[in-house]
Amino acid sequence: MTLFDRVFGGNDYNYERTVAAIDAAIAQYGESEPVSFPGTAYSLPCYYGVTGVKITNLGEMKAAMATIKANMTRSPRLQDAFDSGIASALCAEFLEALKYLHGAEPYAEPEMGHLTDAFVRNLGVPLVTGDIPGVAVIIGGAEDPAETVALAKSYQAQGILVTLTGDSIKHCHEAGMKLGENVRVVPLGYEMQSVIHVVSVAVRAALIFGNITPGDFKALAKYTMDRVKAFVNAYKPLSDEIVSYGAGAICLGFPVVSNETENMFRVPMSLIQQLDTSKWNATSLEARQIKLKITNIDIPVAFATAFEGEIIRRGDMQVEVDGSRVDCFELVQTKEASEVEDHKIEVIGPEIDEIPVGSKISLSYTVDVAGKAMQPDFESVMERKFHSWINCIEGVMHTGQRDMIRVRISKADFEAGFKFAHIGEVLYAKVKSEFDAVVDKCQVKIVVDAEQNKELRAHANEVFNARDARLASMTDESVNEFYTCIMCQAFSPSHVCIVTPERLGLCGAVSWLDAKATKELDPNGPCQPIVKEGCLDEHLGRYESMDAAVNKYSQGALEHVTLYSLFQDPMTSCGCFECICGVEPCSMGVVITCREHAGMTPLGMTFSEMASMTGGGVQTPGFMGHGKHFISSKKFIAAEGGPGRIVWMPKMLKDQMRERLDATALEMYGVENFTDMIADETICTEDPEQLLEYLGNAGHPVLSMEPFDM
Amino acid sequence: MKDWAFTTTIEEMEAATNSLLETAQKVGADTWQQRVKNQTPHCGFGEAGTCCRICSMGPCRITKKAPRGICGCDVHGIVARNYLMFTAGGAATHSDHGREIMHTLHQTREGGNYQVKDPEKLIRIAKEWGVETEGKDIYALAHEMAEIGLLEYGKPFGTQRFLKRAPEHTQELWAKAEIEPRAIDREVSTAMHMTHMGCSSLAEALIRQALRAGLSDGWGGSMMGTEFSDVMFGTPRPIDTTANIGVMEKDNVNIVVHGHDPSLSEMIVYYANDPEMIALAKSVGAKGITISGVCCTSNEVTMRHGIPMAGNYLNQENVVLTGACEAIVVDVQCIFPALGPLSKCFHTKFITTSPIARIPDSEFIQFSAETAGESAKAIVKMAIENFPNRNNELVNIPNQKQNARVGYSVEAIKKVLDGVANSQVDEFGTTKPLIECVHSGVLRGAVAMVGCNNPKVRPDTAHIGLMKKMLENDIIVITTGCSAQAAAKAGLMDPVQAKEYCGAGLKRVCELAGIPPVLHMGSCVDISRMMILAADIAKDWGINISQVPVVGCAPEWMSEKAVSIGNYVVATGIETFLGVDPYSKGSEEVTRLLQGEDGIKEWVEAKFVVDTDIDSLGDKMIACIEAKRAALGI
Repeated sequence: MTLFDRVFGGNDYNYERTVAAIDAAIAQYGESEPVSFPGTAYSLPCYYGVTGVKITNLGEMKAAMATIKANMTRSPRLQDAFDSGIASALCAEFLEALKYLHGAEPYAEPEMGHLTDAFVRNLGVPLVTGDIPGVAVIIGGAEDPAETVALAKSYQAQGILVTLTGDSIKHCHEAGMKLGENVRVVPLGYEMQSVIHVVSVAVRAALIFGNITPGDFKALAKYTMDRVKAFVNAYKPLSDEIVSYGAGAICLGFPVVSNETENMFRVPMSLIQQLDTSKWNATSLEARQIKLKITNIDIPVAFATAFEGEIIRRGDMQVEVDGSRVDCFELVQTKEASEVEDHKIEVIGPEIDEIPVGSKISLSYTVDVAGKAMQPDFESVMERKFHSWINCIEGVMHTGQRDMIRVRISKADFEAGFKFAHIGEVLYAKVKSEFDAVVDKCQVKIVVDAEQNKELRAHANEVFNARDARLASMTDESVNEFYTCIMCQAFSPSHVCIVTPERLGLCGAVSWLDAKATKELDPNGPCQPIVKEGCLDEHLGRYESMDAAVNKYSQGALEHVTLYSLFQDPMTSCGCFECICGVEPCSMGVVITCREHAGMTPLGMTFSEMASMTGGGVQTPGFMGHGKHFISSKKFIAAEGGPGRIVWMPKMLKDQMRERLDATALEMYGVENFTDMIADETICTEDPEQLLEYLGNAGHPVLSMEPFDM
Repeated sequence: MKDWAFTTTIEEMEAATNSLLETAQKVGADTWQQRVKNQTPHCGFGEAGTCCRICSMGPCRITKKAPRGICGCDVHGIVARNYLMFTAGGAATHSDHGREIMHTLHQTREGGNYQVKDPEKLIRIAKEWGVETEGKDIYALAHEMAEIGLLEYGKPFGTQRFLKRAPEHTQELWAKAEIEPRAIDREVSTAMHMTHMGCSSLAEALIRQALRAGLSDGWGGSMMGTEFSDVMFGTPRPIDTTANIGVMEKDNVNIVVHGHDPSLSEMIVYYANDPEMIALAKSVGAKGITISGVCCTSNEVTMRHGIPMAGNYLNQENVVLTGACEAIVVDVQCIFPALGPLSKCFHTKFITTSPIARIPDSEFIQFSAETAGESAKAIVKMAIENFPNRNNELVNIPNQKQNARVGYSVEAIKKVLDGVANSQVDEFGTTKPLIECVHSGVLRGAVAMVGCNNPKVRPDTAHIGLMKKMLENDIIVITTGCSAQAAAKAGLMDPVQAKEYCGAGLKRVCELAGIPPVLHMGSCVDISRMMILAADIAKDWGINISQVPVVGCAPEWMSEKAVSIGNYVVATGIETFLGVDPYSKGSEEVTRLLQGEDGIKEWVEAKFVVDTDIDSLGDKMIACIEAKRAALGI
């Protein structure tokens, strides 16, 4: 049997059972029964991406089978095998969608099944920055379950997102491995067809970040091949069904590594036989040309971005650094070179093994840096990274910042020999590797002494206050340069952010200071200064130099941009925006929703649906992606009246933004407690009448504003 | 059929040629297009191979009424003798080219006109030949190898050294069929002896010698020509260049090299880049110096230096008709005597350089290895000084040009394949990644497209049409000679665009490997590279060459060399498809021997397929490849 015959066979098998399943579902529910996956605006994502047609009910699904059949040609050519592989994958998507019929919840822990749009969007930034260097799709399991677990862990330790299908879920689950989005090991389902859920993520990445037109399959496949660094690891035995999915994966550019030799073929860089499964990691990375950022840190536990979302529960905790009860803080200080002894890690006070289990302790860590190109403005940029770095330590959890930190160290880490000094090692190693262009010398002082920390904290607060004062004084008017950020062009090739002191990048991860530091660290990198020149309209924030910059950096895709308007050439979005705002026409206000909020908004659209209207580097007047902190900026849609236009936000977002937003509104409109005037999902979800009534009762400032000049 | 939108079409190329023919008319020049008309219809006896004029009793022409010549030889003997003589002419020509290279190798010295640029390759071949290399000066080794190589032409005993490169099975077939070539000159002499009046008239014996003479070329003279050219001038590696008549530059001094032997053209290229020469060019009002080429000299210098290709065999008059050609410098083979009178209609200097190719109305500057530098410099200078003599009213360089990536020696192909291998799984330096592509069906197979142009076929249509057809069917094309230039002119070697029109399998291979779908392997002597590649694939795969889904094709061939090539390609086990009949159709028996199932196919596991309907020829090639796949169960 040839390779193509196997693909065709798997495709035929899937086609026939899909037809039967659809017929059975129609017999039960009728053709008008709605079909959808939860939490996606792209339903059904693979079929939509491939054909440009959305399927909403069983009747449409049945009709779509004719389209699928038409692509199931049988010439002995790779094109036919590719088409059949995709056809087989689309059948799998239909079979999976049928599981969700009639409000069913087909998947329970550990299986996750369909992954939401929010999941996809959360991947955006880390995929761009290389924090998630790739996506491993593990299919089936090894004969020895420990081998499967070791494989999944090897990718996890490299920060690679792992999806599991079939026995691999069982193996990892039974071994007690933590599974889920937060540890980047995502169990899809026990059935092989559930692998479609990760394909669906890749397809939506192309639609969301790549602005690929649904139905432009050629562009879709090019996007996934060039930009989505996924690969498949498939344990033997491989059924024809799996082989057909493999053809689909290879069509999208994802190589398949397997130990199957029975009736199997090899294709360079695409279908690789590796009988030594302990080498699958290295083989796969080479096949997909994935390069890892190497940071070798000498600590007794793993260090990887995959552990960033790991949660340490109270019962698993050895000690806790608790800034809410005792004096704790983290601080970066610029020093003279003579004052810093490179790689000095000092622990003042008792080490972890001298402290009773379960203690809540006072601890501070101060990182002194020196370097010719170092600027005090970069201190906060580095400090903000501490959260992510410390979280990357396996078995350590960090929350908060400045003097409001909480750090938990697990019992497992303690048993592995983890010490406070190792936190110092991590901070030292990361500062030296990520900020090598500005930091020549670095030392870390960890103080585990309540008395000393009381004094030190007071000093730290002086530093924080001085920084805040500087930040507050830093406005778009007070600087001469803004910065581009095109970090996301790896994913969204025509998007350009303009980052200003009062408008951070829409991902929330790049402030003006970050951009400035990035320029220093990587002079030819993604952040380039643009001198404010040729102001055409101060109110809209329109400059000749900004237009020229977006034109240049979007390779001509964009001609104009304004910094402060929602309607006039609004800034584009890559797709990894934290929030999205959209016009609410009844109140002449704007609705903001955020990635974490899956529910409906008064616009009748969820975050995903709103997000699908923008993103991919296109300008959609009336809709705009942005960072959370932009909400409380005076420059937020300043051309349309500023944050006073906000009429609805999810409650969670309101609570996060309350303090700063209230302060801004007080200054701009003389209104106290502005955040309370904004409606949320507890007040109304879809009914504009309810919204208007609430705004009227609250005396919301939008009611006295001019209608939008649309 | 796909539209291949970016390619330059035959119609566009013909329109460009027509604009040049207008100039020809204006200056009263004679062109091949006119001469074809004058010569048509061709002699039917000649075309069928049934005219014998090897003794002065004749000429004898075989008809139904006169089925035998005066000596009594039947039509099969006559056709087979003509076929063998044709082959011997080609084998002698290619091999003599190889011999010249060996003589040049003998002249190499440190800092001299000719040097060893790829010592590694020289050492590799020396080891293969059992020559001690340890502690030996590279030039001493080069001279020793040159002498040994030259002995391959006349050694009294034994067979060709390079035969050992073939898979054992192939060597056994050759031994069994008694076609292992002995000394190269002997095979040519034996052929001429056999065809002498009163010697062989048994078709089978004559065809057998044709295969043997062919093998002495492909696995002897040509292979030495290729391998030792690489030693002296460098083994080709992928390099980007341009092709078609538009590569000539109006504001520059244009020197066109033409012929086959790279020894002289290497020197011309060197001196064209000499600052002194460039300054001289500027002093006469030119912006610079452009070297371009036609035919296989062009292929040699494009493979190693990326020198642009102005055209192929039937474009040789076009370069002069541009009115912008200061000099056309030729060495040996495929040079139209017409260039003499044609150059007189323009300011163009027609410079012949080899005692082998003396042509009326040319300036003869005899080239020798000792004086190569001086001669080349003098030629470049002569071209520059000729620039002011241009008649600007006649200048017309059609604006046709395509990008091409060339330089795919066997070594380079393996390097490309290493690039798609996985160090965790694969061994490097083999053809295995290519085999995996074919075995899995991603590629259906490969075609070696070679050969000339021939007015009997609308120029380049067969090359380009067949190539497109193969590419659309996931069949990778390797090519040499004027076929390669046809591909380059059309744009099929464009590393960015050409893959877009291929089948999905070939497209993916091109993307992953960073190659164009048509690989330029060099000049016509470099078909020996194809033989080495086929041998390595068979060995790496563990099957016979004849089982590999590979076919050869010469759809527009015309020269004796091409027939010699056809013989050694078939004798190597590769089914070979011809679009022009090799003057053999007059004999059923010769046709059966060459094209039947029970002729040469029984000896060497391959045969010729002749079909002048090019589309049908292409279908047969694909069918042959698919049949080989089916036989392998893949």
